[in-house]
Order: sequence, then C-alpha cells, then structure tokens
Amino acid sequence: MTDRALEGLRVVEFCDELGSYCGRLLADLGAEVIKVEPPGGGIERNSPPFYKSAEPGPDTSLAFWVHNTSKKSVVLDLETSEGQQLARKLALTADVVLEDNPPGWLAARGLGYQDLHAEKPSLVYTSITGFGQDGPHANWKYSDIVGQAVGGVMTLAGEPADPPNMIYGNQANVCASIQAAQGTLIAVLHAEATGQGQHVDVSAQEAISMAQETAMQTWDLQKKNRVRTGERGSLPFTLPGLGVYKTKDGYATLMILAPAGADFPDLVAWMRERGMQGDLDEEPYASICQQLNMPFVTQVLSNPDSAAQMVPQLMHIHEQVAKFIATLTSVEAYEEGQRRKLLIGIVSTPQNLAENTQLRARDWYRKLEFEYLNKIIEFPGPPYRLSETPAVIQRPPRLGEHTDQVLAELRS
Amino acid sequence: MSKRPLEGIRVADFSWFGAGPIGTQTLCTFGAEVIRVESEAKIDSLRTVQPFALNEDGSFKTGYNVSGYFNNFNAGKLSLQLNLDLPKGQELAYRLIEKSDVFVTNFTPRVIDKWNLRYEQLKEINPRLIAVYAPMQGLEGPHRDFLGFGGVLTPVTGVSHMSGFPHRPPIGVGTHYPDYVVNPGHSVTAVLAALRYRNRTGKGQCIELPQIESVVNVLGTAVLEYLANGDNPTRTGNRSPVAAPHGAFRCADDPESKDSPDRWVAIACKSDAEWQALCKAIGDPGAANDPRFATFEQRKANEDELEALVSSWTAGKRAEDVAAALQAAGVPAGVVQNAQDMLERDEHMKARGYYVYLDHPETGRSAYDGPAFRLSETPGYLAAPAPLLGEHTMDVCERILGLDMDQIADLLAEGVLL
Repeated sequence: MTDRALEGLRVVEFCDELGSYCGRLLADLGAEVIKVEPPGGGIERNSPPFYKSAEPGPDTSLAFWVHNTSKKSVVLDLETSEGQQLARKLALTADVVLEDNPPGWLAARGLGYQDLHAEKPSLVYTSITGFGQDGPHANWKYSDIVGQAVGGVMTLAGEPADPPNMIYGNQANVCASIQAAQGTLIAVLHAEATGQGQHVDVSAQEAISMAQETAMQTWDLQKKNRVRTGERGSLPFTLPGLGVYKTKDGYATLMILAPAGADFPDLVAWMRERGMQGDLDEEPYASICQQLNMPFVTQVLSNPDSAAQMVPQLMHIHEQVAKFIATLTSVEAYEEGQRRKLLIGIVSTPQNLAENTQLRARDWYRKLEFEYLNKIIEFPGPPYRLSETPAVIQRPPRLGEHTDQVLAELRS
Repeated sequence: MSKRPLEGIRVADFSWFGAGPIGTQTLCTFGAEVIRVESEAKIDSLRTVQPFALNEDGSFKTGYNVSGYFNNFNAGKLSLQLNLDLPKGQELAYRLIEKSDVFVTNFTPRVIDKWNLRYEQLKEINPRLIAVYAPMQGLEGPHRDFLGFGGVLTPVTGVSHMSGFPHRPPIGVGTHYPDYVVNPGHSVTAVLAALRYRNRTGKGQCIELPQIESVVNVLGTAVLEYLANGDNPTRTGNRSPVAAPHGAFRCADDPESKDSPDRWVAIACKSDAEWQALCKAIGDPGAANDPRFATFEQRKANEDELEALVSSWTAGKRAEDVAAALQAAGVPAGVVQNAQDMLERDEHMKARGYYVYLDHPETGRSAYDGPAFRLSETPGYLAAPAPLLGEHTMDVCERILGLDMDQIADLLAEGVLL
C-alpha cells in the first residue's frame, strides 16, 4: 500500500459536470469522495460519448468517466424529505462538502452552508457555480461556453472572420474545478490546524479569467483590447517557418524563428538531405533564409513596410517549406525535427496522444478494470507525479454502486 | 487583516515565465512567503515583454519592472537576485532552500542539472522539502529534452486539434492557454496535498508536473474516445454533443468596444425547456414546436437552420440586452467579453471586486487578478504589488540567509547578487 496524501479526508460531493473534476482530483489523491447523485444520475452521467461495446447509459458515459474516477456513488432523491435527511446526515460525517448547484438550491433542502456549519463548525464547504455566491449575476444560468465567453477567453480565439472560438473540453468547468481543489485544500489545512471550517466560493467566470493571458493588463495599462488574430497571429504577412503546416497525415506547428533551438538554415539543411531544398540554395532565397530569425520577426512586427518588398520571396520560401513538411508524417516532423533541435510541435490527434512516445515510455496511461463490463480500459493518467503519495486512479463508480454500503454505515 | 492560512510557509521560487509563478502567486495570496530567485544574467523574459506601462506622452516605459505580463503573476512576492552560474550563487541557493518549505522550478532538466537543483541534491540539505518540478515533457524519458513553451504545448497536448471550426486548420486558441490555470492549478493542488502529508508524517517529497501530462489529463473525453472506442475525434467548432443551439451569435456592433466592435453572445440550450424559453424570449414561441427544432435530435439534425434562426434574432441587438433577456427567461447566455468588459463594463465582476488595484512605484496604480477562489474566514489578498527586480535582495540576505553587511557587500562586488 502506498501512502495517500489525502488519507482520512471524507468528501461528500453534490456535483454534476461543473464540479466533478474537483472531486476527482481529491479522490485520486486519496480522499474518500462520496458522490451523491439523483435517481437516474445527473447530466454528466447521461452525456455522450458512450462506451461503444455496451449499452449507452449512466454506467457507460465517457464524459462521466473522465471526471469521476476513484469516487463512491450514492443515489439519494433530494426532492424527498427522506433523501434530504439522509444527505444531511451523510454531509455531517464529512470533512468537506463539495457542490456545484445554483446558489440557495441546497440550502432550500436543508443542506446549505449555514445549516451544516452551525452543526459542524470544522466543515469545509466548497461551492462551485458559474458566477459565484453573490453579485447581480449570481443567479444567472450557466453553461461551460457561457463561462468561457464571460471569462474573457473566447474573444481571443479564432479567425477574425469567424465567431469567437470556444476551447474544447469544457475548460471553464475544468478551471473552476481546479481553482476549487486549491481553495478546498487550503481550507482543509486551516481546518485541520485550527478546527475552523469555512465556505469556499468559486465562480467559473473568475476561475478561467486568468487565461486571458495579457488581455487584462493590456487594457489596464494601454487601454487597448486584445482581439482574436487567427492563423497569422500578429504577423502582417506569412513568414516561413512560423505557423501551422500540413503534414502527410495531419498538421505540425513550426516555430523555427523563435529564439529557442536551431535556426532556419538547419531546416533548409534537413530539406537538402531529402532533396527537397528546391531553389532555396539559390539567390535571392539563400540570403533571405540566412536572415530568418527572431530579430527579423521583431522588425517585421514593428515596421511591416521594411520587409514588404520581400513578401513574394518569403511566400516562395514558405511554399517550399510547406512542400517539404507535407512529405513527412506529423510524428516524423515532430520527433525528427526536435532531434535536430528545431522548434516543431506535433498537432496531436487523440490517437497521436494515445501513441505518444514519451507518454508511453513513462507508463502514463492507467489500465482500469471494469469488471461489470468484463473489460480493461486504459485511461489518461494523473496530472502530477508525487514521489511519496502518488495519485492512484480507480475506475469510476456505477450509479448507486455504494448506496447500500454507505447508508448501512450511516444507520449503524 | 486576518491571519492567512499559509502564513509560516516559505517558498523558494526558482520558476519563471507563466505557469510556475502563477502557482506560487496563489500560495503567496494565501499567506506564504514567496521568494522569487531571479538574475539579470538570465532574466525572466516576462519582465521584458508587452504590455508595458505607458509614460504620460504615450510612449512605453522601459526597464525590467514595467511589464504587466510579469507583474500580474508576482504580486506580493520578494525578489532576490542571485547568479546561479557562480558557485557562491549556488551555495546561497542551497541556504535558501534549506530554510524553505517548498521549492518550485520550471527550468528545463538540462538547466536543473547545471545548477545542481536535482531533488536528490536538495533533499540532502532539507529532507522536509516539498520540491516541485514542472518541465514540459518530464524529468526523464525519450522526449525529456524536447524544446518547447506554451506555443508548442498547446498543439502537442491536443488542445489545438480539438478546438476551433472543422473547416479551419488547427490554429490554436489565441493564447498559451495551459499556462494560466491548468498547469499552475494542478501544481498547487499537489503542493497542498503534500503539505497535508508532511503535517501528518514529517516527510517531504518530490512533485513532478510534466506539463504534457497535466494538460492531456483535462482534454475532455478525446483521448478516452480513442482508448476505449477506437475513435479519433476532431474539432467541432462551438457546437456540443449535449446542447443545441450552442455557440456564439453575432449581435449589433458596438463602437465603444475599443478595437473589437463586433459583439457576440454565447448561448447554450441544454434541454427542450431551455429551448422553449429561448423561443419565447425571441418572440417566436412557434419555433419551439417547429418539427425541425422541437426535440434535441431534430435541432442537431437541422443545426445550420437553427443557428440561422437564432442569429436573425440576435443581429442588430445590443449584446448585453440579448444576454439579459435570455437570462431573464432562464436560458444560459453571456456576452463574449473582452478585457474592457471584464475590467470596466461587467457590473457583476465589479460588484464582486475580483480585480485588485495596487500602487506600483514604476507602473503607477494598476490592475491585478485577485484570488480565484474566496475563503469566507481566511480570505487571500495581494499584500503588495509585484517586486522590482532585486528589490528584496538585502532583506532576504540579512533576514533569511543570515548574512551581515560586509558579506553582502563582498557578494555584490563579486557579482553573485546580480
């Protein structure tokens, strides 16, 4: 048995998709997380995609699985007084209550912070909502894309001609859950040191807003709004070796002109080895290739006119690079490019990630046994490696899997 | 001000750029004493990049202390200048680490080796230390020395492939998204768990946060879809497998929205009830029973027409009015806000007081992100603005490293405190 960092910490979770990842982080680190679910399960349990080799349903949702590992599941109907009483009794056995309901929803069922805190002053009670517990929008309806919009990150993503882009993966929910995990653990440390519990308030809008990068400071200091700039970024025209290139089977991101790593002539040398340098060894291209570095980019950014007459040549060089990259697979462009110290990133597909050399070499993926499906399914591993108390991922619970066990314990 | 929960915890912060310093910023906000170890010989690049504060004539202020990018991630920390290329610099680093609870770095494994900051070395001088390493690929493995930063991490981790419209190449999300919440938040979560373990056992430990692992872990269901189902999904723009309509819809332009006059509202209908509420709000209750749109399956099957219908209503209206009308009807909706909105026009953000304004000796009064979570009894706060480069070198040398003025003078002359 390995030691667990959160051994002995009991968390009772009343979360659906907004806060479930927070519960997962705590559960994988060793907390006993008991998820209280409505009959039939919540939205996340019933969301696609489903595991294909079984009937779609609350026990086969991949959306539920990824955010609910290592937990226990108890079904209680909080619309009945019996369900509310059992939930209350259960919550009072916990060190932490974690919830993501609209403000006041649990309080109306006898499970609010004030109620529980009065009875158990050491309780840490974490509420994750779209907009936080107070303020004029506290009761606004929330969904992940709304969080990304009002949190200021969507406006930065996408082509100017398109609608702003959301980031895949319910990232406002993820950010809210990650912020909540930190707040909860700080409150736990304090409660364990002093006996004083408290209410932790997380707003998804605030939780993701740090991901505006420099937009907030740019407005504050310079009264300029950062906007979405699409494929070309802030460049006035395409520069060879900077941006997304098509490979034989996908895409790769080239950042050859960035200050790290080998320079553009090393890319041309690679092309030459494959007989793909075209006319880049001839003038005027050879001289231009020698100049393509970070100072050149800086100059183009500050004074686009200075390089304007070179645009046709730059375009030609870009096309030669594109032709070369198109002969490589994405993995080749990435691994062979990096071996040559060229700053190239694979645009990974899920399959690329599942096969990623580094992740496989370090045994990151975890095999979880789903005995009720008679299958072993690989899961993404934990976000961190703790030498003494590693995260341990256990399969997510079936709906109500632990109802009998937990209620029996409550009654005894 | 109340005592903050992490008071008494000292953090030796050997990190730089975004993800490392944002994590230690959180610890600092809740009371830890965070000492940023910096050097002019290897300056944190964020000190040298935009956005810079402006002079009265509109020109950029210059120097190492005027970048909003750096300042926002370092409020309340102490800045110690230390040249780690010199043996005496490394000795002082060890002395600081000996007197610290937490050590954090996101240097590359190569630099960690060069400066003798490996965990096996640090635990010899401080067995109770919680040491955090956050290299891009990890401390070991065949890709250990691959080059990269946020701009490469976003494509490598699958975020680029999975985000954006399907007819566009995978251009990324406009920022180095994983640097700002996902990676720092995961590393702080691990540190706090390790502090709890140390409270109970007295044992420190090594925490490794390979950034690629941290980010792929939050890539929704994409990788599991491949592992469990053999599917290789791709980006689907702003659409959702569980909601329709779901996207950003164009509203009337707003000339007061500087540099970004195009205005959009994000809308998500997760149920038939929310769809019916939307139809009522847009004055077209009949649409709710339109056979093209009545059920979720029908709305997904006719999504182009569905979006055209919603767009025809939002077009020409103020984005704020659209969001408020939909919310009043119980439909999840919100303006696609820019930073001007966030800081100045969003009444809710203002009422919550999320942003904090601090007086900084070189930038003047400027805005900082406040605590990203609120503790009712022991709230975090920013105790000071970002430090000037080396502002606390003397203080840290005297108070923490136990040096006297003569020793400090010698070290200054030798270029150790540079």
